[in-house]
Amino acid sequence: MNIAVPPRTAAAPVQTGRAFSAVRHKITSSKLFMIGAVGVFVIALICLLAPWIVAFDPEQGGLQSRLLPPQWFSEGLGGHVLGTDQLGRDVLSRVLVGGQYSLMIALTVVVGGMLIGIALGLIAGYFGGIADAIIMRVVDVMMSLPTLIVALCFVAVLGPSFQNVIIVLALTSWVLTARVVRGSTLAVRSTDYIAAARVMGAGGGRMMIREILPNVLPPILIMASQQIGVILLTEAGMSFLGMGIPAPTPSWGGMIAGGQAYIATAPWIVVAPGMALMLAVLAFNLLGDGVRDVLDPRSTN
Amino acid sequence: MRRALQTLIVLFGITVIAFILVRVAPGNPAALMLPADATDEQLVAMEAFMGLDQPLIVQYFTYLGNLLQGNLGYSFTYRQDVTTLIAAALPMTAILGLAGMFLSLLVSIPLGMLAAVRRGTAWDTFAMIAALIGQSMSTVWLAVALVLVFAVQLGWLPTSGSGGIEYLILPAICVASQDYALTTRMLRSGMIGALGQDYIMAARARGVPKLRIYWHYAFKNAVLPLVTVVGSQIGMVLAGSLIIERIFNWPGIGLLMSNAIASRDLQLIQSILLISGFIYAVLNLFVDALYTVLDKRIAFA
Repeated sequence: MNIAVPPRTAAAPVQTGRAFSAVRHKITSSKLFMIGAVGVFVIALICLLAPWIVAFDPEQGGLQSRLLPPQWFSEGLGGHVLGTDQLGRDVLSRVLVGGQYSLMIALTVVVGGMLIGIALGLIAGYFGGIADAIIMRVVDVMMSLPTLIVALCFVAVLGPSFQNVIIVLALTSWVLTARVVRGSTLAVRSTDYIAAARVMGAGGGRMMIREILPNVLPPILIMASQQIGVILLTEAGMSFLGMGIPAPTPSWGGMIAGGQAYIATAPWIVVAPGMALMLAVLAFNLLGDGVRDVLDPRSTN
Repeated sequence: MRRALQTLIVLFGITVIAFILVRVAPGNPAALMLPADATDEQLVAMEAFMGLDQPLIVQYFTYLGNLLQGNLGYSFTYRQDVTTLIAAALPMTAILGLAGMFLSLLVSIPLGMLAAVRRGTAWDTFAMIAALIGQSMSTVWLAVALVLVFAVQLGWLPTSGSGGIEYLILPAICVASQDYALTTRMLRSGMIGALGQDYIMAARARGVPKLRIYWHYAFKNAVLPLVTVVGSQIGMVLAGSLIIERIFNWPGIGLLMSNAIASRDLQLIQSILLISGFIYAVLNLFVDALYTVLDKRIAFA
């Protein structure tokens, strides 16, 4: 066997310079990853720059300007590019600002869920015993409840608000991460270099963070990147049912719900957020598949 | 047997979550039942009547006891027993779910097989793009778009309601759209794996007709993992039906639940959460059992 042992660090089995350039090569050669990354970047950029792009307040309308059809770019960005909705609010500015909130929620939820999942998964896998048993039973229970239903029930009971949506979604989305982290921790725990670290006097917490975590990171990153699209869809479903960010703050799901009654006469109210949602989820899904291509050693195709 | 025990623990956990759901509701549940001008004595009497003066653990076991007797409580919005309401709605959701599952398999089996058999060709790309779009499509958006095109513009199908098969088509397409992406992908990778096996080579060498190889030899093996996925998807129909039934006004569990959420009918929300969890857990047990029947290599531990 030919193992390069970097000086001083007992573990770090993969982080050599060669592995890094291999990852970089994989990134640039993965079409999925590049398309997804560019798409996500463009969408995020447009949503973040929304205040400087659009000329209208997304929450203010006027009765004279109700249900105006899209003017496209006939008046540049000063007109109602994508028309107005049933309350006379500019659809484009609502789509962009709604996108800001959706992306913010999705990212916070995925990061939050990931952190909870990592913590509980490490504890379950490393310590085993009672902690493991309790955490894994909770995981079993959570796995057997559809996320959308649990999230909706709790938001309905607690009352819809920005914080409640994030908290409830994060508390329902840590489960898969915890399971994967626990599995990887179990596998890593019995390897030689962990034993070596233990002999060198590394304690439980240090061991988990410094030695085990780097090794369980790739599967977590794959999962997290694939979860963003799911969370975006869940959040849209929740706001469609009136259990997302409360009105008048724009959200894609809420816009679709509001415009549904006008679908025959003013379809743009629904089509604009619908397309935005689809493109955003598509971009994140491509990125997720791309991340898997890059990080998963088993995927060769 | 261990699997059945595990399911029992999960069922127990679901009752705990459903119980917690009502406990975290802000405000006094007794006050919600009384008019705003109720006196303090009335409030105390109501609390005693509802058992709220008991310790939490006693309340939980009272709840559990009622559950075991099939008593899910009373819905104040519908003025009916929750059990009756759910029993009336479940078959409708089951019909919708089965129709959707049928459509999903109708699309994904040929698509997944074609992609595997013609791997790397335009067919494969087409199937994978179709799967990716299915994964990124929000049900909210798809449902509204379908109504716009087929009900409003073309006038071929009714916009909403229930009755003959024409009412079932659009909602079933929406259910199928959530599922076919995953089944197509699973089937494709399963078939590719199976087609690479030695026994397929042997069959080819013996001159077994191609179609027979694909269906009889490869499909049979690729279908096993599909069983698990389809099983869990049937459970997920409950979550998807929330939005789909609301848009198409299909009188199933989803519509019941979105009405319950809109009117904050705690008893009904709690019971639907409970029932969905139960159905999903029992379905999973059933699927696992089916899996062992189909695959003799796995002993049902």
